[in-house]
Amino acid sequence: MNLTDGEFLLLASVMDIIVPPVDELPGAGEMGLAKEAEELAARIPAYGEALHRILEALSLEPSVRVEGGFPALDEEQRMSAIEFLEANMPKYFDKFVDLIYIVYYSDERVHERIGWRSGPLQPLGWELPAWDPAILDKVSKREPFWRKV
Amino acid sequence: MTITHPSTDILILGSGASGAAVAWRLSKSGFNVVCLEQGRWIKPEEFPNEHADWEIQARTNWAFDPNVRALDVDYPLNVDESPIDPLMFNAVGGSTIHWTAHTPRFHPSDFRVKTLDGVADDWPLSYDELEPYYDAYDALMGCSGINGDPANPRRKERPMPPIPIGQDGERMARAFDRLGWHWWPSDSYVNSVPYRGRQACNNCGNTGLGCSRGAKGQTDVAIWPEAIANGVELRTESRVFRVETDAEGKATGASYYDADGEENFQPANAVVLAMNGIGSPRIMLNSTSGAYPNGLCNSSGLLGKNLMFHPYAMVSGLFDDGLQTYKGPLANMILCQEFYETNPSKDFVRGYTYQLARSSGPISTACGYMFGRVPWGADHHAEFKRRFGDVTVLGVIGEDLPEEHNRIELDPKLTDSNGIPSPKVFYTLSDNSRRQLDDAVENAETALREAGAAHVLATRLLKAAGWHLMGTARMGDDPTTSVVDRWGQTHDADNIFVVDGSVFVTCAAVNPTPTIGALALRTADYIDRERADLKS
Repeated sequence: MNLTDGEFLLLASVMDIIVPPVDELPGAGEMGLAKEAEELAARIPAYGEALHRILEALSLEPSVRVEGGFPALDEEQRMSAIEFLEANMPKYFDKFVDLIYIVYYSDERVHERIGWRSGPLQPLGWELPAWDPAILDKVSKREPFWRKV
Repeated sequence: MTITHPSTDILILGSGASGAAVAWRLSKSGFNVVCLEQGRWIKPEEFPNEHADWEIQARTNWAFDPNVRALDVDYPLNVDESPIDPLMFNAVGGSTIHWTAHTPRFHPSDFRVKTLDGVADDWPLSYDELEPYYDAYDALMGCSGINGDPANPRRKERPMPPIPIGQDGERMARAFDRLGWHWWPSDSYVNSVPYRGRQACNNCGNTGLGCSRGAKGQTDVAIWPEAIANGVELRTESRVFRVETDAEGKATGASYYDADGEENFQPANAVVLAMNGIGSPRIMLNSTSGAYPNGLCNSSGLLGKNLMFHPYAMVSGLFDDGLQTYKGPLANMILCQEFYETNPSKDFVRGYTYQLARSSGPISTACGYMFGRVPWGADHHAEFKRRFGDVTVLGVIGEDLPEEHNRIELDPKLTDSNGIPSPKVFYTLSDNSRRQLDDAVENAETALREAGAAHVLATRLLKAAGWHLMGTARMGDDPTTSVVDRWGQTHDADNIFVVDGSVFVTCAAVNPTPTIGALALRTADYIDRERADLKS
């Protein structure tokens, strides 16, 4: 799916509300992640449909039909416009939020902030403390209680 | 123009937990064996855990749900009439590719629920009869665990010591100890040490996405290499659409589409269906003929009926001690079977197992598989921080009881990419299962609070939880009330066998794969011992 310039700006603006700035990181839209969202939506039909429906609904919603559109609204107005969609289009809105979370939490800058090791799980894996049979001290003293036949 | 292949002794349909076991066992006894698998081999470098976008793949092209993956190799399912979505995988190894490999056994009482509790039916075999096959399947797949569990009969030493349960597992174990409840390290088909040429697990976490190290018991690495070395021909990208029969109703082979969409026929002396509890009845229902107007070997009318899932509840505890609960195998820590058996003081029969599970990566945390989705907006970051790496889950595996109205049928419209009818699933959660899950949720909340959870959240019926597909070609001695006999041989044709979860009479309150594997090996033993007539 290819977004128009207007849709792209709208998406970035909504993303900043869904995942706002934190610490040194700007909001998800300002981080430039709308492009990733567009690409994932193009690849996965369920996300593509959700993105299309939400952006379309948001551009038609009466409260945002002002000069400058959604980005020109104040924060409270933007919040209520999004909450309106959440309440009235829950199926598409859920997928839309998933899409934004996926691209946000795929980003290495976010990984660094939350202390997550970027990259594949293999081959590093994780270290766990070795198995210690002493943990069984209490339960292993219990008499067998499985039901006899 | 149909391509007809040279005949074989045994034709196995499906290469997963049961099909691989039958192939391996019969190939050791000199049978000629061909196995048809609709999927293909997955190379180690293809598994998502080898890629940085593994969490995205887990939600898209590697999702558990074939309706989400929607790959050509999958068949879609109509789930409009089911609150639970069936999950499966189609490749060499079948659903063992994406299972978490938690491998408890049935209890002796599970084979006698009619006698003991007056519900469902007894199995036509006992735990004692199946025990040597459990041991054999454990050895084949590679089982880590430890003997001495007071909730189960003593058994042979596991081939490998337990996998570490981690600090999060210990935290929960100590809580169970304080409550005086049972717990035990889970048996798992995950290597705690190198085993039969396969590496040990390095705790990467997501056992559900296939294991590129070969440390998890998937049949593509645990069984197929030896079966192929024994002479089995495993033919991939071969999608069966009908088991063919003669005028007397005996199988003559199976018809399938190859990767080019060409129709093929593989003749055989016997056919073994091993395509899971939905896949096998689907193809059997599609195999109508003069001998079988209502589906293959369906004189009982029970083919496709008595579908059982394990209805899952998931109770998640939110802790605040920063244990990084995403470190370690996803669901191979400990189990609790304190509430496994019927308790007359309760308002339900039979019981449930708790399976402890870990959390996962940041996308899973944010999108909320384990603990609901993190809210968007101003509170997002604080709430994400509170949850990430701090969630531990008690999964509830409740014993579902067989009911004829829970079933699969062939959908009149929906098909796979070859035009083969898809299954439609009809399932209603019973009152007994509902009460069982409610009780389990209440007790899980007690346990998680005891372990120190600051907040507990329950999902009382998980939709994406149809991992275990059972009961749709049930086993029994009476041909009017069952589809297959005690050996997995259909009552209607002595050269057609079913070996997957379809044959389950009841489903117990444990993950079914060790029982599926044990039953498959037992059927193969029977064929080897009693059916020399099937060998050329």
